[in-house]
Amino acid sequence: MDETVAEYIRRTVLKMPRDEIKTMLQKWGFLSEAQLQTLNFHQIKDNISQEVVQLCEENSADIKQAAVLDIIYNHIYQNKRMWSVYQMKKSGEEVDYFDITDFKKKFKRRLRSALKNVTITFKEYEDNAIWIRVAWGTPYKKPNQYKPSYVVYHSQTPYVFISASVLKSNMPLLCQALIVASNYHDIREMELRSHSLNSLKDIVFKRYSQNFHTYYPKPLQGENVEPESADIRIVQENRSEKERIHRLNWEVFGGGPQPKLEFAQYKLETMFKSDPKLGVLDKKEPFRCLVKFSSPHLLESLKSLAPAGMADAPLSPLLTCIPHKARNYFKIREKKGLLPESFVSP
Amino acid sequence: ENVDPQKTAFLLRKAWTLYSVTPLYRFHRARLRDYARLLSAFIAAEKQKGLAVEVGVELDVKVVVSSLADLRGSEQDQAAVLVQLSLRSQASSRNSEDKLVWSGWFCSVYGDDLSENVPEDFTCLPLFLTHGAESYTSMVGSWFQKTFDCCFRRLAISPLNLSWMVAMWAGCKLDRAASAVELVFSVPRLSQPLDISYAIHPEDAKALWDTIQKTPGEITQEEVDVFMDCLYAHFHRHFKIHLSAAKLVKISTAVVSAHCDGIVKILQSQYLPGALMLLTELAISQIQ
Repeated sequence: MDETVAEYIRRTVLKMPRDEIKTMLQKWGFLSEAQLQTLNFHQIKDNISQEVVQLCEENSADIKQAAVLDIIYNHIYQNKRMWSVYQMKKSGEEVDYFDITDFKKKFKRRLRSALKNVTITFKEYEDNAIWIRVAWGTPYKKPNQYKPSYVVYHSQTPYVFISASVLKSNMPLLCQALIVASNYHDIREMELRSHSLNSLKDIVFKRYSQNFHTYYPKPLQGENVEPESADIRIVQENRSEKERIHRLNWEVFGGGPQPKLEFAQYKLETMFKSDPKLGVLDKKEPFRCLVKFSSPHLLESLKSLAPAGMADAPLSPLLTCIPHKARNYFKIREKKGLLPESFVSP
Repeated sequence: ENVDPQKTAFLLRKAWTLYSVTPLYRFHRARLRDYARLLSAFIAAEKQKGLAVEVGVELDVKVVVSSLADLRGSEQDQAAVLVQLSLRSQASSRNSEDKLVWSGWFCSVYGDDLSENVPEDFTCLPLFLTHGAESYTSMVGSWFQKTFDCCFRRLAISPLNLSWMVAMWAGCKLDRAASAVELVFSVPRLSQPLDISYAIHPEDAKALWDTIQKTPGEITQEEVDVFMDCLYAHFHRHFKIHLSAAKLVKISTAVVSAHCDGIVKILQSQYLPGALMLLTELAISQIQ
């Protein structure tokens, strides 16, 4: 077995939490159940990984098998990576029959015609997701297995999720190979990024609860409309305001859980406007700002701003449009013309 | 006020943790060498007691205490005192380059408010800045407390003072590569914590401040309030969020960046005196 393959397998096993190594090796299926029984999982990881490498040596593992193990690890720990979303476009209305073998063949052929030194690995999962791992080399160097790109493609959709390696120069080639293999004619990067791959899927596949402008259900008996315990000092006026905010929130966000995003970024190139009495800045140039919202669960925290008294209700459309516009990067410019208060987002 | 940039270069572009210090009793500038020796012995004893900083290798801690004559505001101010801790490997004397592991310095820049009202035996150096492991800070602090009967407290910087800093330095003359004026807010009491970073192009922030400030070289609270209100209003116009109700936790300008927990970074030497003057003032108000 190649030394570099041995080292790669050793390091991949070291990344895994000790009590998950056995499960991942079983999913891998490269070592027999009998071989797995011989492993002692009650020692330090260093020793476990050495034993695994020994067994792989017995089975003459090569880089192809090692790459599959890496996909398995990254599929389970997908949220450690940052994912970008790309959308592919077809020229016509034809609905092609998707042939996985054909896809793989075309993908490999396209990449290899441009770059000899690449390692390409595929793995299919039950939810129709095809995971592709690409390790990149150069005409003179073997592929760097430690900085691969990962692509997740759901064949029934035009969306591709990519976690690129640091080497951004390979992106155009990767994109080309994808559209050639899937019979699309164009691909563009969406302004949507997150660590939570499932949330990105929820957003573009519209799997989250969306707003319902016309229907607001009456609270069920016993359902707590107010998030905090009822305070006798809250008078009728405040109570109806709270209910208004709650209803508006519901209309915008829906009743179900929000997709999990960690940040939203806005590049503002709008004009600075202020009370003329203040006598301050009145430039004809935009007031350039960069605003970034961060949270372990951004949409949930935005949803709680108005009830907490931190924001007006309804919340700004710049924030509420995130899921249905499927983007969390925005460039906001002033809309010229009749409505000076509204913004355009290109 | 002519601070030699060479001597103070080490102060720049480092994150300093701030403390206020009550006046030191019977601190004698002539005895700095003695103090270094005593502090060194104290640290060695602490390490032997088991409060080891470095696990494993036994390393000698060398202490240097020096005076920074130029680092002061007025003649009334005491010159700054610098304490440096280095690790000297006992093993080889060949490659014996000491590795600086911790620095702390006491200073007073226009701290007249305090020094005027203090009896003779006391030395006023109300601002203490440290850079390095917390364990060393704790040992140095304990020794000073024991020896000079003084008291250290972490210097928190309120949102009010942070907004002063933004206003003060947003209007500074910019060089080509100036960084953005950034305000970082944290929104409390939500179901999920939310941080908001609001960064303004330095030219635009300066342009705004220039139209607000009436007298160059002078800043009033009213001007600071107008500046902040303008920024809040611009934000509210877009996002309908009341930033004024959020907690301002960190500010950044091309000159100084500061965090509400009392951590400061000074980026340009010409603004060092001004920054230290403001921080000395904050330290004094915390003491009084």
